Amino acid sequence: MNLSFHQRWELFAYAAFVVAILLLPLVADAFWLNRFAKYLVFGMLGIAVALSWGYAGILNLGQGLFFGVGAYMISMSLKLQSPTSQLPGAQTPIPDFMLWNAEPDAMKDLCCITDGSWLWIPFQYQGFGIAMAVLVPALIAFLIGYAIFRLRVSGVFISIITLALVLLVRLVIIEFQPVTNGFNGLTDLGWLTLGGVEFDPYLVSTYYIVAIGTILVLLLTRLLVAARAGLILQATRDDANRARYLGYNVAAYQVFFFTVSGLIAGIAGMLYVIASEFASPTFLDLAFSVSMVVWAAVGGRSSLLGACIGAILINTVQATASESEMLGEAWKAIVGLMFVLAVLYLPRGLAGLARDLLDRLREQVPTRRGALPTPQRSE
Amino acid sequence: MSAPALTLDGLGVSFSGFKAVDGFSMVVNAGEVRVLLGANGAGKTTLMDLISGKTKSTAGEVRLFGRDITNLEEHHIAQAGVGRKFQIPSIFRDLSVRDNLVVACTRRPSVLSNLRVKRSADERQRFDEVVETVGLSGSLDRLAGALSHGETQWLELGMLIGQGAKVILLDEPTAGMTQGETMKTASLINTMRGSHTMLVVEHDMAFVREIASKITVMHLGKHLAEGSIASIEANEAVRNAYLGSGGIH
Repeated sequence: MNLSFHQRWELFAYAAFVVAILLLPLVADAFWLNRFAKYLVFGMLGIAVALSWGYAGILNLGQGLFFGVGAYMISMSLKLQSPTSQLPGAQTPIPDFMLWNAEPDAMKDLCCITDGSWLWIPFQYQGFGIAMAVLVPALIAFLIGYAIFRLRVSGVFISIITLALVLLVRLVIIEFQPVTNGFNGLTDLGWLTLGGVEFDPYLVSTYYIVAIGTILVLLLTRLLVAARAGLILQATRDDANRARYLGYNVAAYQVFFFTVSGLIAGIAGMLYVIASEFASPTFLDLAFSVSMVVWAAVGGRSSLLGACIGAILINTVQATASESEMLGEAWKAIVGLMFVLAVLYLPRGLAGLARDLLDRLREQVPTRRGALPTPQRSE
Repeated sequence: MSAPALTLDGLGVSFSGFKAVDGFSMVVNAGEVRVLLGANGAGKTTLMDLISGKTKSTAGEVRLFGRDITNLEEHHIAQAGVGRKFQIPSIFRDLSVRDNLVVACTRRPSVLSNLRVKRSADERQRFDEVVETVGLSGSLDRLAGALSHGETQWLELGMLIGQGAKVILLDEPTAGMTQGETMKTASLINTMRGSHTMLVVEHDMAFVREIASKITVMHLGKHLAEGSIASIEANEAVRNAYLGSGGIH
């Protein structure tokens, strides 16, 4: 296969990234490994944002909606598996908070202990929770996308609508306390159990579930944008009318990729819960959704790997800086400064910087291979 | 003679009472290059909007090789075989010239049929033809946004050819071009003559003489006159409406 200079380096960067996260357990302890698993999840969010913002030109300020819903779906299953939900004498596992909220004479069964608690019944099967964590965010993304793109909503209006929607869903989750535990979120979760094996969040195997999930998402998304559909998507971003008059149903492309982006965020939410053992309405805070956009901007929104690395890097810096006594509260300023610098000097983010450096390198050493003398074999 | 490619039958649209196009009828035969003339505000661009689906008509019919395409969605009209070039050149600026043409030459429009990386032999052949026709083979790897004004226009024309459009609407294709660029555009249109049917809005009379097989004159949204260049230039009604009662000095 004939690869161009840039393609070869991109392949190298992807390979290096994959190898690095696969080998990380060799050098990191359990604490850092668990922490890094969460950062990989944030990396997936960076990919989701880059796909919709960089490739489709859709700035979604409510990506946390899909992340949060994915997280809640798996949490419901894990909550029912938790020892805190096993009540002596009850027919079904019952989340502890439902018991605290219930009327004293309520029947101790998931069907009717509180209003709407029956929604939890199918989540007794972990497989159902996993399936919902993947399907529900994608379905919501599809419905939102279908509604806004068919009406040719574009630009900043998409951002406003998605921003409003994530806050709306956040309010709904907080309001429906009997079912969702409101502000407190779902805590004291059980561990993910696959084939009889429990995945303690601090185990290396749990890290690998997240790592392999991230790698798969990264590579599959990269393939997707390399396909013709990805090229057409970028065309619709550059000039929607031109694409339309070439015969493309622009809305269909936007809905499809918006849905994929929501799906990725949902999977990220699920993996985050597996590594962190809680789900909370803070996942749907505006600040979190905006952070994702910052990660992608710093890493490079038009590069999936760049956005992914941007997310991991910022979170690592943030954690290190916030824990250093010398820096104290200054860490927020540091992260803010990184964003400002990226916007001012690196409009294409770290990925763009890497590309420019490579180009300069190539100009300075134009024909290195040709210039090297052929080594002579000495007898 | 040859079959009608584009038929407009009593086409009209009114914007809150104002009839921008009013009962306009016209038949353009296959392979013809028809120039549409008219003063500013005569409704030329609106007419193109009606044909291509950008604006929905309130009266009349548009037929493409006998098929009724009135008020379909833009991408359906495009799929039926109508290509449109805008007054302001519109291309995918952040993609390479190659990618612009690859997108245009893609045969099947749906998302799911485009989850593939390879180009079909048919697509590759069309791509090569287009590159040769518009003469952009040296610029394939450049960003489309970095092309000169003339090259941008030719790229857009190439995209229309690649798209497989049978009827092409050109809205002032030479606006802002140098003399040389205008002449290259004229020869490009002349090579497309026969295989494509074209409807061109243009003011540059030298260019019109170069390309037109027949001229239709529009005035205040209505069909005013139709015929060869000579007969239009001699037409009294056209002189009064378009050139002004005093004519050109």
